[in-house]
Amino acid sequence: MQTSGLLNTYFVDPHTWDEMYDQDRIREQYRHVVNYMQQLSLEELNRKEELARRLFMSQGITFTVYNSGEGIEKIFPFDIIPRIITAAEWSHIEKGIKQRLKALNLFLKDVYHNQFILKDGVVPIDMIYSCPHYLREMYQFPVPYDIYVHIAGIDLIRDADGSFYILEDNLRTPSGVSYMLENREITKRIFPDLLPLNNVRGVSQYPNILHNNLVSLSPRQISNPTIVLLTPGVYNSAYFEHSTLARLMGVELVEGRDLVVDNHRVYMKTTKGLQQVDVIYRRVDDDFLDPLTFNPNSVLGVSGIMSAYRKGNVAIVNAVGNGVADDKAIYCYVPAMIRYYLNEEPILKNVPTYRLDNPDHRDYVFKNITNMVVKKTNESGGYGMLMGNAATEEEIINYQAQIVNDPRQFIAQPVISLSSAPCYMQGKLQPRRVDLRPYALCGPNGIEIVPGGLTRVALREGSLVVNSSQGGGSKDTWVLEG
Amino acid sequence: MLSRVADSLYWMGRYMERSDGILRMLKVNYAYSQDDVYEFSWKPVLKLFTYLDNEQASALAKSPRAILKYVVTDKENPNAVVNIVARARENARSVQDHITKELWQCLNDYYHTTKEDWLAQWLQKDDPITILDVLIKQGLLYYGTADITMSRGEGYSFMNIGKYLERAILSADILSVRFTEGDYDINADTDPNYWRYLLLSISGYELYLKTYRSGFEARNVVEQVVLNPHFPRSIIYSLERLQRYFSGIKNENTPGDFDELEFMIGKLLSRIKYSRAETLIQQNLFQFLSEAKNDMYEIANCLTRHYFAYT
Repeated sequence: MQTSGLLNTYFVDPHTWDEMYDQDRIREQYRHVVNYMQQLSLEELNRKEELARRLFMSQGITFTVYNSGEGIEKIFPFDIIPRIITAAEWSHIEKGIKQRLKALNLFLKDVYHNQFILKDGVVPIDMIYSCPHYLREMYQFPVPYDIYVHIAGIDLIRDADGSFYILEDNLRTPSGVSYMLENREITKRIFPDLLPLNNVRGVSQYPNILHNNLVSLSPRQISNPTIVLLTPGVYNSAYFEHSTLARLMGVELVEGRDLVVDNHRVYMKTTKGLQQVDVIYRRVDDDFLDPLTFNPNSVLGVSGIMSAYRKGNVAIVNAVGNGVADDKAIYCYVPAMIRYYLNEEPILKNVPTYRLDNPDHRDYVFKNITNMVVKKTNESGGYGMLMGNAATEEEIINYQAQIVNDPRQFIAQPVISLSSAPCYMQGKLQPRRVDLRPYALCGPNGIEIVPGGLTRVALREGSLVVNSSQGGGSKDTWVLEG
Repeated sequence: MLSRVADSLYWMGRYMERSDGILRMLKVNYAYSQDDVYEFSWKPVLKLFTYLDNEQASALAKSPRAILKYVVTDKENPNAVVNIVARARENARSVQDHITKELWQCLNDYYHTTKEDWLAQWLQKDDPITILDVLIKQGLLYYGTADITMSRGEGYSFMNIGKYLERAILSADILSVRFTEGDYDINADTDPNYWRYLLLSISGYELYLKTYRSGFEARNVVEQVVLNPHFPRSIIYSLERLQRYFSGIKNENTPGDFDELEFMIGKLLSRIKYSRAETLIQQNLFQFLSEAKNDMYEIANCLTRHYFAYT
C-alpha cells in the first residue's frame, strides 16, 4: 500500500515546543496516532477531512454570517488530528486550575464584602474602582454557597521550554465547551478504534456534572426545580452551543422574552400559564441582563431579574459582577491572591505582565514594543490587540497614543512563542500554534475539571492568535489515562 | 412547554406540510403540462402558491421552467419552496432541545439540499420530476423521522396541529381554485384530465378509481376530497386529526382557552361531517369552501391568542 509519507514535510521551528516532536523523536503519546495516520493514503485522509466537514454541517454545528440579508452557514474550522496531553501534564494543569479558581472565588467574595485584600494593600483599591465590571449592585449580596464562578474557561499556553502558563481567566460566560463535546464525537467517527487504543479519558460527563451543580443551587427546596438556560437567541454566534447544552442537560432553553418577573420571582411563559424558574444558567452578559438595572436598551434580558436575584428567589450562573476578577489588569494580581488567601505558591505561572498605568512599566514596554503583545483590559476574543512583532510603524504609533490617553485600559505581555501541534492542511502535515482551554465546574461539593478541553489552533502559518473571531480553528483534545 | 416553543413547533409543522403540498402539486402539473398542451394551464398553481397578480401570472404561465424556478428556488418569492423550508428549519433551530437530534439533522440536511447549486441548474436543464422527487423524499424522511423518534407529548401535538390545519387549508384551496375563474360551472365541467391531475397531485387518484370505478364526475371528486374519512388528504380527515391532537393538549390550568377552541373545531367538523356532496354542489360549493377556510383561519388565530402569545 502506498503511504502518505506525511512526516517528511513536517518541519518544526527549533525555538518552539512541539506537542508531537521532541527534536527528531516522536513523543510517546503521539505514537499510535502517527502509526495510524501513516497507514493511510492521502485520499483516505482527505476523505476523513471531508467526512468531518459533512458531519458538522449536517448537525448544524455552524455559526451564521449575515451578509446582504442572507445567512451564510460556516463551520468553525476543525483539524482532524487530536492534541494529546499526558496524564502527568494533566494532573499538573488540574491542580493548578483548582488552586487558581479557589482563590478567584475567594477574591470575588472578598471584593464584594469586607474587602480585606484591598485594605491590606495586596490589590490597589483604584484597580477595583476603575474597573467597569465591578458592579456595586453586587455589594454585600451573599451568593449561594459563596460561589461566584460556577463555570470557568481558563486559557493556558505553553512556552518554548514546555511549561504551562495561564494566559487569561474567563470567568463570565466562557464558551466553546460544546466544541469539546462535539469534536470528540467527530473523532469517534473519523478515527474508529483509536480512542480506546490510546486510553483516552471521556468528556461526555460534563453536562451531567453541570446539571447536578445547577440543581444544587435552587433556592426552593423542591425535588424538581426548574432550571433554564438563558440565550440571547438564534442570531448569537454561540447559539448552537446553547441549544446543545440545554438538550444534553434536559433543561429549557429560554430567551429574555420568555421570562417575566412578578413580585421578585422569575417565571417562564408556557402553554399552561406561568411557571416559576429557580436556576438560570445565563449566556447573556451582565450588561444586558436587566434593563432596569444595567443597560436600559437591552432587549435580551429580563426586567426585574436583578431584584429577584438579590431577594434570593432565583440563582444566576455565573454570578453577576465576575468581570472584576478576569479583568486583564487584575490578572497580574492573581498570584498574589493565591498567596494571600491560600498561603500557597501558584502552581501555574502567569505570563509576565506589564501594567501600562505604571510609568516604569510603560517606558520599558514602549522601548521593547516589537517583542510585546499589548491588550485592552476589558476586551476579549482577540479584539483590540497589538502584536508588536507583526504591527507596522504607524499602527504602533497610533496605538501608543491610545495608551498614553488612558493607560489603565492596557496591559502588555512579552510575545510568547506558543507551542505547536501537527495539523493536516492542504494534504500536508504542518505545525500550527495552539492553546488550551479546560472547563472547570465549581459546585457546593468542590471543583471538577473534565479531562479534556478546547484546543484552539491558529490556522495561518506562523500566527500566534488562536481566537475563533481571528480565524482560529479547533482540535479534539485527548487526556490520556495514567 | 414554553409558548414560544409551541409556536415554533406549530409553524415548523405548517411549513413542512406546505412545502410538501407545493412540491406534489408542481410535480403533477408538470406531468400534466407535457400531456395535454391545449387544455392545461399553470394559472391555478400560480394562483394558489404565489402572490402574483393576474398579469404577472399570465406572463409567467407560458414558461414551465420559469415557473419551476420561481416556485422552487427563487429566493425573491416569499412562498418559494427554498424559503418555506428555510423557515421551517429556522423554527426547528430555535427549538432544537425539543425535537430529536435526528429530526433536526433531517430538516437541516433538507435545508442544505435546497441551497445546492446543482438543484437550481438541473431544474432548468434536466428532468424536473427527478429533482422534485429528491425534495419530496427529503420531506418524507422528515415525516418518517418525526413519527419514529418524537415522543408523544405536547410538542408532538403542536407539530401535528400545525400540520393538519395546513393540510385542511391546502385541500380546500386546491378544490376551490377552479371556481375563481369567473363563470365556472361545475355541472357543465367535462374536463376529466383536470380532475384526474387534481387527484393525482394529492395522491388520491388510485383511491378514486377503487371507490367509484366510473369516469370523472365533479360530485365524486368533491365527495372524496371533502368528505372521505379514509382519504388522508381530505378536509374531514385533516380536521379529525386536528381535533385528536388538540384534545391531547388539554390540561387543568387553562380550561377557558381550551373550551373555546374545542368548540370551534367541533362546530366546523360537524358542519362538514353532516353534509352530502350533492347538497354542497347545489348550494354553492365555492361559498362553502370559503366559509370553511375562514373558520380554519379563525382557529389559527385563536391558537395564537391562547397558546402562543408570549410577547
